[in-house]
Amino acid sequence: MMPEIAIPPSGEGFEPKIIGFLCNWCAYAGADKAGTFQTPYPPNVYVIRVMCTGRIDPQFVMRAYELGADGVIILGCHPGDCHYKEGNYRALQRHRLLVRLLKQFGIAEDRCRFEFVSASEGTRFVSVITSMVETVRALGPLRNNQ
Amino acid sequence: MKVGIYFCSCGTSISERISSARLMESLHGHTEAVYLEAIDFMCSEEGKAALESNLRDNAPDRVVIAACSPRDHEPTFRRVLASAGVNPYLMQMVNIREQVAWVTPDPARATEKAARLIRGAVARIRLHQPLDRQELDVCPEVLVVGAGPAGLKAAFTLAEAGRRVTVVEKSPVLGGLPVRFEEIAPTMECGSCMLEPLLGEILHGEHSGRIEIRTLAEVVDVVGFHGRFTARIRQSPRYVSSELCVGCGECIPVCPVSATNEFNCGLNERKAIDVPFPGALPNVPSLDAHTCIRFRGEDCQACKAACPVGESVIDHAQAAQMIEREVGAIVVAIGASLYDCRKLPDLGYGRIGGVLTALDFERILASNGPTAGLLQLAGHESPDAVAIIHCVGSLDVRRNDYCSAVCCQYAFKFNHMIETKLPGTKVLHLYKEIAVPGKHESSILHRARANPNAAFVRYGDIQDIRVSDSAGNPNVAYRDTTGSLGSFDADIVVLCPAVVPSDSAANLAATMDTNCDRFGFFEELHDRLDAGRSTVRGIYLAGACQSPMDIQHAMSQGAAAAGYILSGLVEGKKLYVEPITASIDAERCSGCRVCGKVCPYKAISFDADKEVSVVNAVLCQGCGTCVAACPAGVIEGQFFTDRAICAELAGVLE
Repeated sequence: MMPEIAIPPSGEGFEPKIIGFLCNWCAYAGADKAGTFQTPYPPNVYVIRVMCTGRIDPQFVMRAYELGADGVIILGCHPGDCHYKEGNYRALQRHRLLVRLLKQFGIAEDRCRFEFVSASEGTRFVSVITSMVETVRALGPLRNNQ
Repeated sequence: MKVGIYFCSCGTSISERISSARLMESLHGHTEAVYLEAIDFMCSEEGKAALESNLRDNAPDRVVIAACSPRDHEPTFRRVLASAGVNPYLMQMVNIREQVAWVTPDPARATEKAARLIRGAVARIRLHQPLDRQELDVCPEVLVVGAGPAGLKAAFTLAEAGRRVTVVEKSPVLGGLPVRFEEIAPTMECGSCMLEPLLGEILHGEHSGRIEIRTLAEVVDVVGFHGRFTARIRQSPRYVSSELCVGCGECIPVCPVSATNEFNCGLNERKAIDVPFPGALPNVPSLDAHTCIRFRGEDCQACKAACPVGESVIDHAQAAQMIEREVGAIVVAIGASLYDCRKLPDLGYGRIGGVLTALDFERILASNGPTAGLLQLAGHESPDAVAIIHCVGSLDVRRNDYCSAVCCQYAFKFNHMIETKLPGTKVLHLYKEIAVPGKHESSILHRARANPNAAFVRYGDIQDIRVSDSAGNPNVAYRDTTGSLGSFDADIVVLCPAVVPSDSAANLAATMDTNCDRFGFFEELHDRLDAGRSTVRGIYLAGACQSPMDIQHAMSQGAAAAGYILSGLVEGKKLYVEPITASIDAERCSGCRVCGKVCPYKAISFDADKEVSVVNAVLCQGCGTCVAACPAGVIEGQFFTDRAICAELAGVLE
């Protein structure tokens, strides 16, 4: 496997930029729930709301990296809970394939995560986001913009 | 293009961590032709009025509202935009409360995050096009499939409210299963007496003119959507005119041929022209062409000759016909079936005399049944002992893991009826679990427990019970949950089979594009919140087609289905269809049909003439799965277009 094309972690001061694609019904509601609990979490994840994770074209993920994202996280409904019956399964399938493609581009698998978060799982949302930010922080910037 | 950004401070909820002044600074230089207005408590009446008047004064081309979650107030602000004369879909909300201010303690970082999100929203909203909700005239008529308690209740409730209803019933008789029961648990009311007033209303009452009853009919195709379905119905011939027949029954005794009567579970015979059982409604005999010798080439006219009304009442030349009905909504109330006890050969059903299913036993107990209510099987003495085996095929992980919900009620009803008809008869209940919840239902359990001739034995697995033939009578050998072995010589063994999906459920579900669940029952939209709705808009579920249920629940669900329809399908009202749907560019579609395969709503059809896929905007729910799947990239997800999402990404990551 090709090593990742990234500068080594610069340590101090690196704030990763991460795009979060969240489905409207479960994950976005879970994020709102974390807000209602007022549980702090790192502000590095910028949420793009879609109605269903099934809408997420793998090209959106590629575009996010191209535009400077250091990581992408896709959050959808738990299996069987999809508001649109099965969009989350489609998204999961696409993610599996995409990760294989990303590896060929030299982008570490950990920079593109897929997780299930339900509307009630505010606490889980916070822990998933926190761990994603820490993972990407440890990996360092995807490219050297300096 | 002028973009108005409206910032809600939400008291101090937002402004404590994000300052509008600093936001504006951070937006300068990034976006041209943008203004920012702060409005406190924008969702309040004053806030909405301030927003509306500001929108009128500033007349922005696009609007960004930085406030709470769009899950809270997107519809609120869309309405404000509409009343201010701005297309409501030219607005993007940015969630700076739940997803920024409340979770980011450091004001500098909160403001920076908010600014990025707003830049993303501004970038995408510029690309949005005005969208309009589609308006449709609703068709207020309703189709009810199935004429059991649930279907009849739905039909009558709708007719009472002035709706025209077509009821389609597969069998020649109305009332479903309960009209075949002598008594109904737990109050021991006579089954036909309980339903007759409702049936009378439906057939001859004040609102009967609005109810079209079609017995011996089946739905064969459904196309369309909520508010506008077209149902095709196959009407099989009855050979007897429902309009002309007076129900005198003169044609029945003269008929020279008989066949097994399926309405009495094969326990007696009926004529080729007959009523299923005395008192069956509508009171019009039907002719069974498989039995009638005229259909085998013989020139029999016996029934026709006996009819005192006239020659035209019985018409052997009647043919099946296809009819169509335009309806706005459909109620599925086809009921359920019973588990086939022959699949458990150790229980002896169909093999050993005296072994009956609960439905067979209901007919034995019924005064209009094969024994006229006499608790005695042909060629046998009155019984001294009856074994009732509960949970046959239910609560069984290898068969049906659910409880069938109604068996305990009727099993204890049997106990009571046996004790009333033949006092002193021994009754053995063999059960896995006893379940009789409800304020009235428990009384029947207490009564059964108080019967001094009744015994209760709990077994663990249906394989622990074996019914064998002991000199012409069934013997029940069993092992209880403690491991003790027992044996019971019975005259009658009653099996309580699991309530299972109707044989026609899968076909009907496929016809209507609704779903069945893992058991094969109709799947509800939500099993707690919306058990009366199917997964397709405008198709409602009532009764045991959705889950095993008793008459009380079936009736309530029938009324609930009518309620859904009366609130969602109001005559004269328009149907509004959200514009956030997919649309296919027919010019560029290659006709590969990948989109149709991934659509969870069958909203995409294939136009064979033009060789392109087409989205039905009313059926489309806007998930966007097809948009992402289209290999040619020619499907546009309205509001969530590729361009808008990529612009938002660019704005956020700038």
